[in-house]
Amino acid sequence: MRSPLAEKADSMHWSVGRGSPRPTLRQLCHDITRNWLAYAFVLPSMAGVFAIILVPLVQTVAVSFKRYYILDILREAPPFVGFANYLTILGDPQFRFSLWLTVIFTFACVALTMLVGLFVAILLDQDFPGRGIVAVAVLVPWVIPRIASSILWKWIYDDQFGILNHMLSSIGLRSFASFPWLARAGPAFWAVVVVVVWQSFPFIAVTLLAGLRTIPREVYEAAEIDGAGFWQKVVLISIPMLRNLLAILIVISTIWDFKVFDQMYVLTEGGPAGSTMILGIYTWMMAFGRLQMGLASALAMIMFVLVMAVTVLYLRLFMREETM
Amino acid sequence: MRKFRVRRAGVVRYCTLYVAAALVLFVSLFPFLWMVSTSFKPPSETFTRVPRLIPVHPTLENYRIVLGETMIPRYFLNSVYVALLTTAISLVVAALGAYGFSRFRFPGRSPALLMILSVQMFPSVVIIIPLFIVMRNLHLLNTHYSLLVSYTTFTLPLCVWMLKGFFDGIPRELEEAALIDGCSKFGAFLRIALPLSAQGIVASAIFAFIGAWNEFMFAMTFINIEELKTMPVGLTSFFGRFTVEWNPLMAASVLFTIPSLVFFVFVQRNLARGLVSGAVKG
Repeated sequence: MRSPLAEKADSMHWSVGRGSPRPTLRQLCHDITRNWLAYAFVLPSMAGVFAIILVPLVQTVAVSFKRYYILDILREAPPFVGFANYLTILGDPQFRFSLWLTVIFTFACVALTMLVGLFVAILLDQDFPGRGIVAVAVLVPWVIPRIASSILWKWIYDDQFGILNHMLSSIGLRSFASFPWLARAGPAFWAVVVVVVWQSFPFIAVTLLAGLRTIPREVYEAAEIDGAGFWQKVVLISIPMLRNLLAILIVISTIWDFKVFDQMYVLTEGGPAGSTMILGIYTWMMAFGRLQMGLASALAMIMFVLVMAVTVLYLRLFMREETM
Repeated sequence: MRKFRVRRAGVVRYCTLYVAAALVLFVSLFPFLWMVSTSFKPPSETFTRVPRLIPVHPTLENYRIVLGETMIPRYFLNSVYVALLTTAISLVVAALGAYGFSRFRFPGRSPALLMILSVQMFPSVVIIIPLFIVMRNLHLLNTHYSLLVSYTTFTLPLCVWMLKGFFDGIPRELEEAALIDGCSKFGAFLRIALPLSAQGIVASAIFAFIGAWNEFMFAMTFINIEELKTMPVGLTSFFGRFTVEWNPLMAASVLFTIPSLVFFVFVQRNLARGLVSGAVKG
């Protein structure tokens, strides 16, 4: 015999609503009253997410179909223009350039971050005296706020007195004596890639290290007996066993690096002459520099669709790893 | 003979490891040390052809300038205020939500969780335009409310997700025991689950705080009154005035970094665990 109290406790956790495919209104009401406490718990967060993320998202869609020039709307309501904003954007050579640039930027950042992260994780997975110090030091770039580290790197890249040029010229590369890193298109682009990689590799390294630690040592020992060398163990055991984690990290990094704004804004502001104008910067400038909110919203929606495509991939991978 | 070979292999192994470790140490630490070093140097040692890492005549002058002659203290306090309030709001709301998702199975749960997961991925530039328009219509531009509202957006989903991970780790039997002893369901949450997930709450609080502390785009867009600016925006306003005074700017950057650094030391031990179990499971 179960006591009523135990049943009360049971019902708290496993109060499963009826999962019929097409709930009637009555059933819905029933479900809600049955689970009222659950809904009361999650209501504030869901309301927040709705009000501050989903509602604005719908509004962005709406604005993207209007000619919304901020100085005009003081006088008249913004007129509906259909897909005109999207057509303007798609025909805009700067947009095509920015899109391309963003793809290359994202790819470069993700590839380098993963390589450096994996390298550091493998290093920290080894046992050697002093490992602890390296493990803590590695996290420092991650801890410095993005804006502070962007400013710091701007100082490192300074053409006249920056330490980078000093180091390069003191090892004999005289041509770098006053090289303007941030004032030339190619170097400025790669300079920002370096800053982004520098800031994001610690997270990748720490997460991969936690993953590496879950691989049973016996597997490596078995491989050693079979005569596997160090790199063979990495390539044939560690990487395959971390496949899922690596996939998730690659997808997350892709999403993060696609959205980069702060570092690029502080270091180059999209310059010189728009040559580092990645999509995030371009959209922001369109909205708050040129005040063309309609065009900017169309740009934002295009960014959104691209990010969401990658996010779907992320969710798929994530669900496979974890049952919610 | 064999012993010698093993020893030589060991030496090679250690050499490679230490060369790699030294390289990693240099790359991770040098830029940071350079920032600290510049902040303690007089300008004469900065604008020189032979820079040194350790200042010859270390000085606190840059910090005196930053704290006494600039708006930095104001920006700093604004940042503290906005970040603390954001943290408090997101924590209360997120703890409730996370507990709901962790302990109850109800219709709509999976789609809601999926939404919370995907919302974390939104580029902020996608929602900044309508938020700007709404804030303008409500006359909330140039107030800290505009920042509180938008920062909560980004910290809330992350906090819900992290805390859910922590609640999932607490055995349900503990709350069931409390229920049998006559505790209400909300009481079980308040008296059993919350105290047991203290670590998770601290971790989420720190992530929320640092998220708000670092935020730049919204702060730059919504606030253009000097007295209300936050640190990230305040720091960038050093540029564009004549030549950049790197020494005070580095001193200000060090001050800006200190809170994250302190928090980081605080959670360092649980950092990887919290992240891996809460955000990405390996």
